[in-house]
Formats: sequence, structure tokens, C-alpha cells
Amino acid sequence: MTIKPYVTSFVLQWKIGLRYRLAVLAGLVAQMWFGAISLMAYAAVYHHAPGVDAPMTLRQAMTYTWIQQSLFTLLPLGCLPAIGEAAKSGAIVYDLLRPVDLWNWWLSASLARLLGNAIPRAVLLAAVAGPLAALVGLNGWSLAPPASLWAAILALCSFILGAFISASIVMWWNIVTARTLSPLGTYAVGTPLAVLLSGMLLPLPLYPDWARELLLFQPFAGISDIPIRLYMGMAIPGGVLTALGIQCFWLAALTLVGRFWMHRTISRMEVQGA
Amino acid sequence: MKNAAAIEVHDLRKTYQVRDGGSWRGKTREITALDGISFTVPAGEIAGFIGPNGAGKSTAIKILAGILRPTSGTVRVGNLIPWENRLAHVARIGVVFGQRTQLWWDLSVGEGLALLRDIYSVEPARFLRNRERLADALDLHGIMDQSVRQLSLGQRMRAEIAAALIHDPDVIILDEPTIGLDAPSKLAVRAFVRDLRRERGTTVLLTTHDMHDIEALADRVIVIGHGRILADSPFEALQATTLSERILEADFTGPLPDLLLPEGATETARGSRSVTITFDPQRLPAPVLVAHLSTLPGLGDLRIGRPAIEEIITRFYADHAS
Ligand SMILES: Nc1ncnc2c1ncn2[C@@H]1O[C@H](COP(=O)(O)OP(=O)(O)O)[C@@H](O)[C@H]1O
Ligand SMILES: [Mg+2]
Repeated sequence: MTIKPYVTSFVLQWKIGLRYRLAVLAGLVAQMWFGAISLMAYAAVYHHAPGVDAPMTLRQAMTYTWIQQSLFTLLPLGCLPAIGEAAKSGAIVYDLLRPVDLWNWWLSASLARLLGNAIPRAVLLAAVAGPLAALVGLNGWSLAPPASLWAAILALCSFILGAFISASIVMWWNIVTARTLSPLGTYAVGTPLAVLLSGMLLPLPLYPDWARELLLFQPFAGISDIPIRLYMGMAIPGGVLTALGIQCFWLAALTLVGRFWMHRTISRMEVQGA
Repeated sequence: MKNAAAIEVHDLRKTYQVRDGGSWRGKTREITALDGISFTVPAGEIAGFIGPNGAGKSTAIKILAGILRPTSGTVRVGNLIPWENRLAHVARIGVVFGQRTQLWWDLSVGEGLALLRDIYSVEPARFLRNRERLADALDLHGIMDQSVRQLSLGQRMRAEIAAALIHDPDVIILDEPTIGLDAPSKLAVRAFVRDLRRERGTTVLLTTHDMHDIEALADRVIVIGHGRILADSPFEALQATTLSERILEADFTGPLPDLLLPEGATETARGSRSVTITFDPQRLPAPVLVAHLSTLPGLGDLRIGRPAIEEIITRFYADHAS
């Protein structure tokens, strides 16, 4: 067993992601736009209800929003497009003809696709919303630096775990696609689910009390919400260990159950014909 | 390195369960795609699988490739049971499904081959040698840097064949590899498969709809229909009998004259101004038949061809009626 094919697959998918530079720029503009609108909404709410004891300060809500927007393409919005195409054309049988571990094979491609899309945007958006915004005097609206060096280190580990969690959820969408031979269902379900549960639409810390803790314990919170809280040094119920523990738990659970499900799916394809 | 019998198939059966209407509520129905087939292909032989649509060729090919489990029966490819040792098995075979693409749409041909190099752990020196050889033989040098999405069907098929062979498989399995190809690409593919067998002793099993593929390549022809083997014979034997038959179509400028066909020719269809004649060139050489027809009044045009695979199979049913 060698990891070479998975690394090569990762590198190639990464390159494909980078090929779509125009899409990166277009996405960036859309993300800036949504980010700005959210910020104005928050500013309005916070200024009209100064007495309310909000779980986040306005400054934190703004930083949270900028990072969420810059990581939009890290979300598991649906299956890997290449697998969707292969399922529709029937070329998916070739994936069974490769002497590779299919889970790792698809996972490396899915992860590369997510990162290849997300990292260039994140870097650009961080530059625009951080130092550049500060330079033009929009200090109050800009992306704040990490709370401390320690917070930065924790957030980095957490972001890496988050990327793996997202890729593992994409793996579940990939399996659904292989079973239904169509990628459409995964986008129809995956996109709203991911946007809502990740905190992209409304930051998870701003939900009502009863929902807030529940929302922390679902897998989508591990993608960007938990890393962002660590970045900002926000208090998390149970502390840092709980935060990373939730992420590790979901990564392990998604992988173990997902692998089992994939095994079942392959057996079914072998019996019914793909 | 070679096993005495590369492919051994015994009493292979496959029944698909399908739901009527495709919904989960429909009643299940069984489709018997393979109804007990047995055959052996020795190492280094090229065997051609022919039969009409729905005969079960692709089903047999998928079982041999290790991606489909049979309902019963045994298969050994170089002493491995494909669906039980799938990973070990697929590492040694090369497969082309004519209507599906194994190369990656978003990658260039060269990138795809490099990815396959890592998947099959091909050593770098051997990879470069194989890539060069395949690019020469299949005329790929001009399209190595082109993305697969932009290739024409013929170019893509040639790249597909290279992709299936980059790891020097011992056995190659081709399901309709020439379907939809232009004439030069068909010739290139055939020549390449022939050379491969000669130089490396590769065992080849191919299905096709094109009798020219069979003629150019196959040592053995296995005729399959309704999931059963109707004939399994050396190409020469088949050629001497069924495949030798020719069809002549003649158009007349006026009403059909009295044909008075010589021995060895039979009239099989008739229009108001045209007639179809089936003949056996061994008994009645084509020039003799043409000379005879030329004496008839009002002959306009003549075409000679071979019967379609479907007709050959129909004939087999008639001959082997059970
Ligand atoms: N995945 C499948 N599910 C149900 N029926 C199938 C499936 N694949 C093939 N069949 C049926 O099995 C029979 C044999 O098909 P196939 O092996 O594709 O034949 P061929 O390749 O000779 O055209 C056909 O009746 C076909 O409809
Ligand atoms: Mg077929």
C-alpha cells in the first residue's frame, strides 16, 4: 500500500481548482457583497439594541462573518463534481477497476477540490478584509487578527480538522451519488444543510440559547464555526478540549460509518451492475 | 510469467433483479443475462466475443473484469477469482469500455497517464518507455497536453487504449473498443492490439459489433446469444462457414428480369426494381455471379457486402435450434 496515488490525485485536483481563476474572482466579489450586507445588518441590530446581552460583540460578529464568507467553498455543498459526471456517464465503473482504496481515493480528490477552491479565496479575502480594510480606515469593519498566538495555533489545527470533516461529508454525498447515479440530490440537500448548519447564514453563537449548544454538537459546526471561535478566543462550553474533541469525534464517526456504507454500496454495485 | 490458461470460465450465470417502472414499489423481475457459459482462452490468444445487443457480452466482460459478481459459476483469470481478489486482479488487467471514459475530463492526457502510473505503481523508467511506445503507436504525441474534454472521439479512444495499457497488463479486456471510431483510428487500434499480442504475448478478450475487428484480430470467435454460447471456434473455421457468406444487392433500371441464378446463390429479398442475393463465394465466386448478372437486361448498380452480425446470429439460431 502506497500513498503516492492519493497524493498525486490531491495535487491534480488542486491544480484543477486553481485553473478556474475567474471563478475565484467572481466568487470573491459575491462573498464580499454578502459579507458587507451581513455586516451592515449586524451593525444596525447591535446599534438599535445596545442593552441586549449578545453572545458575541459586534466586532466578533464581523470577524466571524468575514472568515465564514472566505471559507464558503470549503463547505460540503454537494458531491465531488467529477464523481457526479462519472455517475451520469457510467464511467464510475472505472473507479472499481483501480487497485486503490476507494475511500482514500475519493477523499483525497474531495479534499483537494475543497482546499483548491477555498484557500485562494480565503487568502484574497483575508487580505482585503484585514490589512487593506484597516488601511482605508474601515478599522471597525475589518477582520480582526487572532486573539493570541495560542489561539492562532489552536485555530490552525482546528481548521485542518474542519477541512477533513468537510471532505468526509462530501464523501457521504459521493456515496449517495454512486447509489442514485445522479449528483443533483446531493446538491439539493447538501447546500441548504451546509449553509444553515455551518453558521454561514447566521453565526451559530447568535442562535437562541436552547439551540446554541445543540448546534455545536452537529458535524457541520466542526467545519468552520469551531475553528473561528478558537481563532477569536471565544469561550466554548467545555473549553478547548471539548471543541477539538467534537471535531475528532465527527471525523472518526463520519469516516467509520462512511467506510462501512461505501463497502455496502460497492457490494450493491457489484451485484446489480453499475 | 504466463499461465497456461489466462481465462477460464465455467458454467457462468448472471441474473439481474430489476424493478418495473424503476421505482421502489414496482414488482421485481429477473433478467437472465448469462445462462451458463463456459470457455477458455489460453495465454497469448485473442478471442472475439460477438453477438447481438443484449446477448450478455458486457455482463460477461464486467464479471471477468471483477466489477460484477455472477449469480453462480466459476471464473479464473490467471488463477485469481476476479470478484474475490478484486484489487490484486484489477492491478494485472487493462480494461476499455468503448462508451465510457476512464481518463479524467479535467486533466490532460499526459496528466491522466501520470496519475495511472501512480495508481498502478509503474516504475518511472518503465512508465516513460511505455508512454513513448504507446504515443508512437497510437499517434498521441500531438494531444498529450490537451485536456480530455477537448478530444475528438477517435483521439479520446486512442488515449483510452493507452490508459488501459500503461501498466503492461497481462490480460486486456475490450468492450466495443472501436465503436464510433473513424476508419484511421480503427486501423490504428487494431494494429496496436495485434502488435501487443505479438510482442508481449498479452491475452485479449474483445467484444465488437464490427466483423472487420474480428477478421483483423481474432484467433478465436465466441458467438453468444441470449446468454448462451452458440459457437466457439477458430476464426478460420467460422470464416470457412458462416462468415464466408456474401450479400449482393442489384438495382435495375426497369422491371426485374428473370434472374435464373446459378448454383450457390439464392434470392433473399426482392423490391420492384431491386433484388438481394445471398451467395457463398467458395461455391460461386463473386466475379462469376457478377458476370452472370451483367448479361441481364437493365442492370443499373451492384453492391457486394457481408451480412450484419444480427443476421449471422439469426442463422446460428436456425442452425442450432434446440
Ligand atoms: N445493470 C443491469 N441491470 C439490469 N439488467 C441489465 C443490467 N445490465 C444488463 N442488463 C440486461 O442484461 C442483458 C444483457 O446485457 P449486456 O450484457 O449489456 O449485453 P450486450 O453487451 O451483449 O449488449 C440485457 O437484457 C440487458 O438489458
Ligand atoms: Mg454491451
